[in-house]
Amino acid sequence: MSLTKRFQRSDEPIWWSLFSAGGVCVAMLIPALIVLLVFGPSLGLLSPDTLSYQRISTLLYHPLGLMFIGAVIILPLFHAMHRIHHGLHDLQWAHSALAKWLCYGSALLLSFLALSLWLLGR
Amino acid sequence: MSRKPYQPSMPADWWLKHPAYRFYMLREATVLPLLFFIGSLLYGLYCLSQGEASWLVWLSWLQQPWVMALNGLALVASLFHAFTFFRLFPQVMPLRVGSRTLPAGWMIAGQWFGVLLVFLALWWLLGAYHVIN
Repeated sequence: MSLTKRFQRSDEPIWWSLFSAGGVCVAMLIPALIVLLVFGPSLGLLSPDTLSYQRISTLLYHPLGLMFIGAVIILPLFHAMHRIHHGLHDLQWAHSALAKWLCYGSALLLSFLALSLWLLGR
Repeated sequence: MSRKPYQPSMPADWWLKHPAYRFYMLREATVLPLLFFIGSLLYGLYCLSQGEASWLVWLSWLQQPWVMALNGLALVASLFHAFTFFRLFPQVMPLRVGSRTLPAGWMIAGQWFGVLLVFLALWWLLGAYHVIN
């Protein structure tokens, strides 16, 4: 190996950080959210009026609601698409720059969609 | 360099060959039901932005048996992910108190306690917290 070999910086730290942060969110927040939103009404944990349009829009369109969306939608999206990107490689289905950009690109696109929907609803 | 370099073969079903590989792939697959739940949330975000009638449509959609089944799978998958993720923490970042390392079991239990706290906080926020602004 020559000393003049060009050193190319990897972009992996960016994707891995998002993956890792998403992993924390999925482990810490997603179980509680599924139990409450999906099974809460039928288990009697929540009464129907607590999920009313007025209450949820007041809660979610609060500035902190944007942080909530980041934690339960955007970071988990990057977590999921990172695993899919590497899973496609592991399964030998796809291992190309295109597959990589389709994976992270869809996470970016859906994150942008989530932000737009939040701004639209406000 | 040898004239006939050894080319290790990598069959596409390599991950079926060992229990540890299958476990790894199962954990990778936890994101598939997770994506369905994220999709459900995005759909909910859309419905909320469209007004009250649309929000009620989403709430009843969420209670359809097939949607509940897939989101139930997402719940199991997220708990399995948490189980594997929490075991990593003491290995990646051992915490030291004074000169002693905190036992791994304590750190894992602490993280599950965190999950419980998050559940209670979210339950309180959704169910009990009525006065905002």
